[in-house]
Amino acid sequence: MLVNKEEMYKKLADTVVDMDEEETVNICNQVISENLDAYEAINNGLSAGMDQAGKLFDEEEYFVPELLLCSDAMYAGLEVLKPHIKAKDEKVKQKVVIGVVEGDTHDIGKNLVKIMLETAGFDIVDLGRDVAPLTFVEKAKEEKAKLIVISTLMTTTMEGMNEVIEILNKENIRENFKVMIGGGPISQVYADKIGADGYSVNAAEAVKLAKRLALA
Amino acid sequence: MSLIQRKDELTSLERVSLTLSRKEVDRIAAVPLVCGASYRVLGTRYDKWSNDAEIATKSLLAAQELIGQDAFLLLVDLSVEAADFGQELIFPKYSTAYPDFNNQLINNTDEYNKVKKINPRETKRMKQVIDIIKGLSKAKGNEVAILGFIYGPLGVLSQMRGHKNLFTDLIRHPQEVLAAVDIITDVLVEYAKAQVEAGAHSVCIDPLYSSSTVLSKTTWEKFEGPYLKRISDAIREAGAAVSIHNCGDGVYFEEVIKWSNPIAISVAHPAHGSKNWEEHAKTWGKKVITIGYSDPATTGLNMSTDEVLEDCKNQIDLFKRNEAGFILSTGCEFPPNGNLLSAAAMVEAARRYGK
Repeated sequence: MLVNKEEMYKKLADTVVDMDEEETVNICNQVISENLDAYEAINNGLSAGMDQAGKLFDEEEYFVPELLLCSDAMYAGLEVLKPHIKAKDEKVKQKVVIGVVEGDTHDIGKNLVKIMLETAGFDIVDLGRDVAPLTFVEKAKEEKAKLIVISTLMTTTMEGMNEVIEILNKENIRENFKVMIGGGPISQVYADKIGADGYSVNAAEAVKLAKRLALA
Repeated sequence: MSLIQRKDELTSLERVSLTLSRKEVDRIAAVPLVCGASYRVLGTRYDKWSNDAEIATKSLLAAQELIGQDAFLLLVDLSVEAADFGQELIFPKYSTAYPDFNNQLINNTDEYNKVKKINPRETKRMKQVIDIIKGLSKAKGNEVAILGFIYGPLGVLSQMRGHKNLFTDLIRHPQEVLAAVDIITDVLVEYAKAQVEAGAHSVCIDPLYSSSTVLSKTTWEKFEGPYLKRISDAIREAGAAVSIHNCGDGVYFEEVIKWSNPIAISVAHPAHGSKNWEEHAKTWGKKVITIGYSDPATTGLNMSTDEVLEDCKNQIDLFKRNEAGFILSTGCEFPPNGNLLSAAAMVEAARRYGK
């Protein structure tokens, strides 16, 4: 029987929206066994599902727990599909180094931004939580990243963002990177003060900003 | 009265009490949330401040002498309760303590039963907070309002399980979460009573996840609503007032009031459903006192004194024209390394514009 691939991608997107990790993996396995294009399945299935979940989040239908479970399903599907992506499909992606500043372990916001950026086609290097300012810089140099994305939820740790920029200035490599910041206590005023290239109020805005900065 | 502060008509305690009773006051109360930042006034280190009740007490008293705020808030950090349940913490020298996320107390859903009932009066960190309140009460309990502080049960649990894991467990393993929240609530009830016994005039509870940026209303109510009520009832029975703090965006005022019936809510953003502060003041100003809403980071790190005064004037004017209950404050903790003169400027703004 001929498989209707559009229908299958739609089902795949639905399983992500439904937070159904097991079924997401099943359909991804089916994509492979039916010799469908893995890259297409990621774009039209998994990413489309995360896009829908993001919209539901914006509309206050979904909240953080739901979004996290959707992303778990998406990542489980990615694990199945990634090894089957053909070399020609692998475009050179803009690299992003992302993390939560030292002293802060609140990483939900950072994870949401990471997921949305990944969905939007960026190549993410996730440094996790409690990341020392120097580590952001060292990793960005090592990975030849275009963007450094820094998050914090606390007023007590936000100065760590400034330290990242100070290190970049000190090493005369500030021009090599775009620095984006965000998190509860952060504002455009603070971004301007420390000389960050941009601030975004939420994950959806972060994607728009990252796209703009990546082109700059 | 310090050398720096000027004599007001009412004491801070009188001013705060009358404000909360919606009676006439000499000027609007001002309570910039200077907690950890006080360590710098005494010239100590943050980790010492966090671990020594005597140092913290002296620091808070010295900071109040300098700034003149109308209340002490006992927010040491959000890991106080979790530490006593067994969560390992990291204490940076010059910043807030936080859980060691590589060593969480609850590593999987089978480990929620590691949360056992403890006596806060016999623990390390919660007892320290109780002792700080005793010290403040002895020194200034008749002059300055003392607001105790308790992190909500779901927040305490998130410090032990990790935020992401807890949030997914709410959907996948609700019973395990609820069982742990129930035990934590029992402990927090005792902690609240101990704070009141030590001299807190009000105890401020932080149900951080009652915000539209985190959980739905129904999820929050299921996992924290009834537990918040138990703590709130205990505070009132012990003879103190209930206040709420939540610096999240879009706090569910209706639901939070339903479960805790507080006299005041401290916020950084307008309530859920209010597009701006004007709408917030119109909707909630007669139902509950709003404590807010200076941006702590901007106030502490960016603004000049004149800008702080102007910003506070705008806030005072907005609530005044809407006849809405208001205490001038930062929406969240004043940055520990922020300019303390900006906190003092907030109090000055209350004197100049809050008559």
